[in-house]
Amino acid sequence: MTTPISYALNKLLTDIARRHQMHESLSDEETAGHALSEPERAALRAGDTGRLYELGANPYLIRRVFRRRFTI
Amino acid sequence: MAAHAPLITGKPEVGKPEQRDRLYAGFHELRRRLQAARPDLLVMFVNDHLQNFAYNNLPAFCIGLAPTYQCPSEGGARLMRLTPRTVRGNPEWAMRLLEAGLEAGIDFAYSYEIESWDELSVPLSFLMPEGEIPIVTVYTNCAAPPLPSPRRCREVGAFVGDFIRRQSGPGRIALVATGGLSHWVGTPETGRINPEWDHRVLDHITRGDIEPLTRLTWHEIERDGGNGGQEIRNWIGLLGAVPGWKGELLAYEPVAEWITGCATVWVHP
Repeated sequence: MTTPISYALNKLLTDIARRHQMHESLSDEETAGHALSEPERAALRAGDTGRLYELGANPYLIRRVFRRRFTI
Repeated sequence: MAAHAPLITGKPEVGKPEQRDRLYAGFHELRRRLQAARPDLLVMFVNDHLQNFAYNNLPAFCIGLAPTYQCPSEGGARLMRLTPRTVRGNPEWAMRLLEAGLEAGIDFAYSYEIESWDELSVPLSFLMPEGEIPIVTVYTNCAAPPLPSPRRCREVGAFVGDFIRRQSGPGRIALVATGGLSHWVGTPETGRINPEWDHRVLDHITRGDIEPLTRLTWHEIERDGGNGGQEIRNWIGLLGAVPGWKGELLAYEPVAEWITGCATVWVHP
């Protein structure tokens, strides 16, 4: 496989990106109802973009949703 | 062929003035030549960024049958600092391409409604500011791996080129590809650019020697050109449509502030 893919993470981030919303982090309340693993929820709570990438979130979606986390 | 990135128009002021001016000059020269060619239709090799196609439905290749495109969509307008405008599609021509593809074993997906992001809006803001020429879009998955191979992108491009050459009638058709070159977007290496790889890719294109590009693997492109470098598939598709043609490099700038190795290239016999 080319790269890990988390469907649950990407489904959540796609929903948010298509609404053109940006976040620093995402609380458990904001991700309720999504079939996320605990490491995925922890990375979303922390707004940890590197960890989300490792866990299989698409980097374009990471950039769109957590844009403020990037210094450039 | 030209780069696309939201910040090219979204944050022109953060780029170094001399870099920005050289790149904009490349876009303006592309526009001048495109206008001089008097096309009646633009066939555009582009890619989505998960705005239209998400992980529940991801076509490798998709023909746009949309009657119109908002360039950009309202959501993207602020980021790209572009006023949304309507660019006409040509669904009848696109349908003929789609049907001919399916008949020939090129299993295109198709879409009647596409939300345009920077892949159309940013280059078209330079190349066609008045929006007067209709477009047909060929979307290739460059953003959500696994991706179609560069070799397959050339084959699909070759089919599009053959289809165009078989068309009867007086219409003049121009090909446009957008995207690339190296850039890392949203990964831990975000902001990296690899000018050495960009020049290697451009050297192949200016020599009309794309065979080595079609042999690149996803891993090689990801390592040397970043996840954004995967967009060279659009360029390979266009070059596949015009075998033997060569690129003339009009501008290349690795613009750190726009996190993209940006090029404009005119392709000629």
